[in-house]
Amino acid sequence: MMPVTGGTINMMEYLLQGSVLDQSLESLLHRLRGLCDNMEPETFLDHEMVFLLKGQQASPFVLRARRSMDKSGMPWHLRYLGQPEIGDKNRHALVRNCVDIATSDNLTDFLVEMGFRMDHEFVAKGHMFRKGIMKIVVYKIFRILMPGNTESIEPLSLSYLVELNVVAPAGQDVVSDDMRNFAEQLKPLVHLEKIDPKRLM
Amino acid sequence: MGVTCVAQVPVAEGKSLQQTVEILTRKLELLGAEKQGTFCVDCETYHTAASTISSQGQTGKLMYVMHNSEYPLSCFALFENGPCLIADANFDILMVKLKGFFQNAKANKIESRGTRYQYCDFLVKVGTVTMGPSARGISVEVEYCPCVIANDCWNLLMEFMQSFMGNHTPGIPSVFGTKHDSIYSPADTMVQYMELFNKIRKQQQVPVAGIR
Repeated sequence: MMPVTGGTINMMEYLLQGSVLDQSLESLLHRLRGLCDNMEPETFLDHEMVFLLKGQQASPFVLRARRSMDKSGMPWHLRYLGQPEIGDKNRHALVRNCVDIATSDNLTDFLVEMGFRMDHEFVAKGHMFRKGIMKIVVYKIFRILMPGNTESIEPLSLSYLVELNVVAPAGQDVVSDDMRNFAEQLKPLVHLEKIDPKRLM
Repeated sequence: MGVTCVAQVPVAEGKSLQQTVEILTRKLELLGAEKQGTFCVDCETYHTAASTISSQGQTGKLMYVMHNSEYPLSCFALFENGPCLIADANFDILMVKLKGFFQNAKANKIESRGTRYQYCDFLVKVGTVTMGPSARGISVEVEYCPCVIANDCWNLLMEFMQSFMGNHTPGIPSVFGTKHDSIYSPADTMVQYMELFNKIRKQQQVPVAGIR
């Protein structure tokens, strides 16, 4: 799903998030189908595992390993996300450094060999849309009842998480303006906002 | 990729490293092999930073990050006797982010560079292995492209290698032993290069001027 990046050392992820209750899903999908690029409806079922490497630094290094459960032959997706940039209040989206890497399927064994340990895992099931360089995903998070067993899962909540994101080279703040404009068109079905994960903890 | 064998060829008696490479390439050209560009395989070494070792209680480990010009968009990361991860080129950027946990031993960077030759279904790469400014040895990589099951074509590979390597032809690579009938992969070639580079690092420096 990620575009092939030219190996620029500073790709940034611009993110806006919101949520909708289960009963509002269909109207949101209908609106998105109308606003977004014309393409075959795309659904996904992914298993994500979050790994931590503890060092002497106060905060451990976090890496996210994601694999597709419904599409065979896809590479695993390894993702690093930096701390959100403390930009000016006028910036409309959350901005953080990101590195996306496609890997072979022995990723978890390799991460453990590097010293990482799995902190938690979940299953994400939902829909994906695109509008130009913007990606919109509407998905439900499922808790995995027994570690490693993705067959028995249960929904974490009665809602769907909605994310609008763009991965672009650093310094392209005009991206967040385009995102804000798009987000306006989704109101009042969903309110997409800049949510700083630290404020939730 | 087809089944591949990577071996070291010692410097010929009384000759320089450069001259030994020329002897090999001349033999290949006489056989009828055609030059097809150049190749490069490089290997960087990372060790677990001391801070991580003390907090995790694990022993320091060496991780190798390698590149092969045959797969320009990929990066291979491996541990000796451990898994080999194949990733895209962004893995190098991740290693920069991880520099607090894994330190790059820059002095240990080693690479093999040379010419690629094609001879019928074989691809042969003869390279000069260098560490920093000094040339340390010669690597020969021979790939039999049509076959992907290691044990099915070892005899053929060996016979072909004898035709230009003579009695420097290597024995069966240790990675073939664990393959049984599974498909040969580029990761198996990188493991062979890692073993070759480790062996060369431990050898005495070649007491000649190196590449001219």
